Amino acid sequence: MSSVSAQRRPKGLRIAANAFVVFWLILAAFPFLWTLWGSFKVELDFFSIADWTNALTGANTERAYGTTTTTTAYHGAWIEQEFWRAVINTAVVCFCVVCLSLTMGTLGGYALSRSNYRYTFWLLIAALMFRAMPPITLVSGYLLPFFQWNLWGYLPTTIVVLVAINQPFTLWMLHSFFQKIPKELDESAKVDGCTQFQAFRHVIIPVMWPGVITTGLFSFLLAYNDFVVGALLLSEENRTMVPAIAAFLGTTQTEGNVMFAVAAVVSATAPLFVLVMFFQRQIVSGLTAGAVKG
Amino acid sequence: MSEIELRNLSKRWGSFVGVQDFNLTIADQEFLVLLGPSGCGKTTTMRMIAGLEDVTDGEILVDGKVINDLEPKDRDVSMVFQSYALYPNMNVYENIRFPLKVRKVPEAEHEERVMRASAMVELDDFLHRKPAELSGGQRQRVALARAIVREPNVFLMDEPLSNLDAKLRVSTRAQIKNLSHELKVTTIYVTHDQIEAMTLADRVVVMKGGIVQQVGSPTEIYDTPANAFVASFIGSPAMNLINGEVTKKAFSGDTISVSGLDLPDGPVTLGFRAEDAAIVEKGGQIQAPVYTMELLGDATMITVKVNGELVSVKAAKDYRAEIGDMVRISVPKEICHMFDAQTGARIGG
Repeated sequence: MSSVSAQRRPKGLRIAANAFVVFWLILAAFPFLWTLWGSFKVELDFFSIADWTNALTGANTERAYGTTTTTTAYHGAWIEQEFWRAVINTAVVCFCVVCLSLTMGTLGGYALSRSNYRYTFWLLIAALMFRAMPPITLVSGYLLPFFQWNLWGYLPTTIVVLVAINQPFTLWMLHSFFQKIPKELDESAKVDGCTQFQAFRHVIIPVMWPGVITTGLFSFLLAYNDFVVGALLLSEENRTMVPAIAAFLGTTQTEGNVMFAVAAVVSATAPLFVLVMFFQRQIVSGLTAGAVKG
Repeated sequence: MSEIELRNLSKRWGSFVGVQDFNLTIADQEFLVLLGPSGCGKTTTMRMIAGLEDVTDGEILVDGKVINDLEPKDRDVSMVFQSYALYPNMNVYENIRFPLKVRKVPEAEHEERVMRASAMVELDDFLHRKPAELSGGQRQRVALARAIVREPNVFLMDEPLSNLDAKLRVSTRAQIKNLSHELKVTTIYVTHDQIEAMTLADRVVVMKGGIVQQVGSPTEIYDTPANAFVASFIGSPAMNLINGEVTKKAFSGDTISVSGLDLPDGPVTLGFRAEDAAIVEKGGQIQAPVYTMELLGDATMITVKVNGELVSVKAAKDYRAEIGDMVRISVPKEICHMFDAQTGARIGG
């Protein structure tokens, strides 16, 4: 069908449409490709003032190491600067934030979606307001008590704050997913012999997987990409990836340091591509088909 | 074995009345149908019995024990939902088995009981399919099998046929009737379709606006409706109702005159069934031009206007008349049902 209708369009329009898509793709992908390419060069090439084409040809890289590509930036970032610590910290933070957000979000979202009380609406509106606030308003308020209670600088503190920032969003998202699941399913499960919680666990959650995975993915991205909370609440050895990258960029006195940042950026971006590509099918497929009459 | 008793059962949401003072004893193994238009409280009543809706006032007793505060899972009822509510992630076998699993029935019995239930509704060939891969009628049968697998004390069915097409509805209706006879379980069945009520029920409860209008066997409800609402709700077509006046023991209107009524003077509603009246050559109580003629196959339906109301009469299947032809209709007083013009309540026997 679509190919037939595409054939009917005038040739000029088709070429223009395709050209636009190609242009847009290049525009969107260029920064990533440029960074990926440049991460295997030395700083003199990638940030060359004399001739920008050095970044493409790698003239200075060849002069220094004999080949046009080098992994010194990665070596420097991962081994010398111990970027692997930041990677582990990020993994810990992301894992905990996703688990906590989803646990509270599914329970809360389910309760709100099945509640008949009018205050649930106001709870959700309040959640929306907190969602709209910039995260830094929360963080700045936390700083003083965290210093005084000696909680500053540790991963669990950051995890709690990130979950707090993230919760309104997960609550909203899961709430709307739960609302799409017919109430008859709960009721049927209850008549069949389940408690409310068993109905939630055995009947609702298995149907909810796409929603849980989607929400989990967004929670993960929030924790993964967070800068403000990590930068302000973590000590140097506990830094996550994004603040660590920022720290590399902030110290340009030594030659090559800025390349650590470039290599770290590539290291931090690559997993995201894999993740999104892997999960896209799960997000799209709906498990609720056939639950009620069709 | 279970007898259900409802005592002054009421449900209110704020000032809105869902069900008002429902009193009824449902005998063991009885097939009871709650019948009424949408919003009449029939589904609410069933949901209160299932435990899915809190009771505002009154009591529900099963075998003499009040079950108002029991969770649905502790009531030993099973329910078929209008939308079937099958578990989409489980196949047919797992769907039917689910009540056994959550109620901790010994694992060894599962297979045999699921097979027995699925055989009863002829689902044996579909056990490994997911609900999404089934037709509406098959899904409906899965819901039935899931309800019967546990052999509960009470069966609740909430408009189980309303999502099926007309043909399937008739065959599934027969299946449900046969099933309830075989299982000998107290059944409460909610519907807005009077034909389902007539065909399935041992007793019918007609409801309107949360209030019970009449309780009785299908024949009683059909032959002696308690009020004008029941009369207008039961039967296909519904009973003809004509508003008019009684003067000197005769009901008369612009085209009707029924005499010999033993009633005081005043406004009344007169009703009669289409199949009780007849087209006649001479005499007759109604004399009016034909408003429309419908061929039903087994009969011909002639409709005329009396006091502004459309009145239908069933004639022989080869009877023919043109619109506008004058016809005479015999409505002897024996077939007439008289109702109070204000309250709608039945007058006389």
